[in-house]
Amino acid sequence: MKILVVDDFSTMRRIIKNLLRDLGFTNTAEADDGLTALPMLQGGGYDFLVTDWNMPGMQGIDLLKAVRADEKLASMPVLMVTAEQKKEQIVEAAQAGVNGYIVKPFTAQTLKEKLEKIFERIE
Amino acid sequence: MLEPESLITEDNVARVKDLLATMEAGDEAGAKEVLDELTHIRESDIYQEMGKLTRELHDAFKTFGMDDQIANIAEHDIPDARERLKHVIDMTDKAANRTMDAVEESLPICTGMETRSSDLHESWKRFTQRDMNVNEFRELSENLGSFLDANTSDAGKVRESLNDVLMAQDFQDLTSQIIKRVIGLVEQVEDKLVDLVTMTGEQYGLADHKKHEKSGIEATGPSIPGLDVAGVVSGQDEVDDLLSSLGF
Repeated sequence: MKILVVDDFSTMRRIIKNLLRDLGFTNTAEADDGLTALPMLQGGGYDFLVTDWNMPGMQGIDLLKAVRADEKLASMPVLMVTAEQKKEQIVEAAQAGVNGYIVKPFTAQTLKEKLEKIFERIE
Repeated sequence: MLEPESLITEDNVARVKDLLATMEAGDEAGAKEVLDELTHIRESDIYQEMGKLTRELHDAFKTFGMDDQIANIAEHDIPDARERLKHVIDMTDKAANRTMDAVEESLPICTGMETRSSDLHESWKRFTQRDMNVNEFRELSENLGSFLDANTSDAGKVRESLNDVLMAQDFQDLTSQIIKRVIGLVEQVEDKLVDLVTMTGEQYGLADHKKHEKSGIEATGPSIPGLDVAGVVSGQDEVDDLLSSLGF
C-alpha cells in the first residue's frame, strides 16, 4: 500500500507520515500541492491519497476532482486532512467524492479511525 | 460651516433707503458712497467663507496624516512587519522540526525497550514458575544484566530528546512579542483608515456599501474561535455528523 501525502507545509507532511508509519503504512511519498501531486498519481503506483485543501498552485478540492475525473485514478480512496471547516466546504468535498474528511488540528486516533473506516468500505 | 449672516438687517434696510433717497435727490456722490458700503459688506462675507474653507482644508490634511506618519507606515513599518512575520514562520518551522527530530529519535528507542522487556518477561515468568534449568538461568541472568545496561543508556537518550523538545518551545515567547508589535501596527493603520472613512465617507456614500460577497467555494484557512461562527463546524464530531447526514 503506497500512500501519497499532499500538504504545502513540510511539518504537516512529516506529522502525517509519522502517524501513518505508526499505523503500519511505511510506504509513503510527499507532494507540496495538487500540481505536483497529480502527475505523480498519474505516473501510477499509488493506492491512497491524503491531501490538504488550502495549497498554492492546485488546491486539494481541485486535485480530488481531477482524480475522480481521471479514468485510471477515479476509484482511488482520498482522505482530506484540512483546516477548512465550513459546512459548505465539507458538503462540496463529499459531493466531489471524498472518502473521509479530517479537520485540523486532529489526533492520531482520528486518523486511525478514518483510515479503518475507509478500508472497511473498500473491502 | 456657519450660515452667512442674513442680508436683511435693520442696518442694511436703512442703507438701501439711503441709497434710494440719495438717488432720488440726484446726489451722485452720496449714492456711490452707500452703494460701495453695501458691496463691501457682500465681499467680506465671501472672503470670510473662503477663509473658513481654507482653514478646514488645512486641518483636514493635518488630521488625515499628511504628516510623515502615514508615509512612514507605508514605506517602513509595513515592510518591516512583513519581514518580522516571515521570521515568525521560520521560528515556528524550526521548532516543529526540532521537536519532530527529537521524537523520531526517541520512538525507536522506546520500541527497543518494549521488545527487550517483553522478551525478558517471558523468561522471568518461567523462572518464577521454576520452569528453568541452570543453563537457562545463566542466560537469563546475562540478559538481565545487558537489559539494565541498555535501559540506563536509553533512558539517558530519551531524557536528552525530551529536554530538546522542551527547549524547542522557546519560540513562543519570541513570536508572541513580534506578533504583538504587528498587532500594534495594524491598530495604527486601522485608526488612519477610520479617519479616512470618516472624512470621505459621507461624500462617497460609503455608509451603505455592501460587504464583498465571495463567490463559490474558497479556501479560507483555519477558523478562529469566536470570529468564524456562521456555517462552520466546531470539530471532528460535527464533521462526522454532517457527513453521515449526507449518507457517509
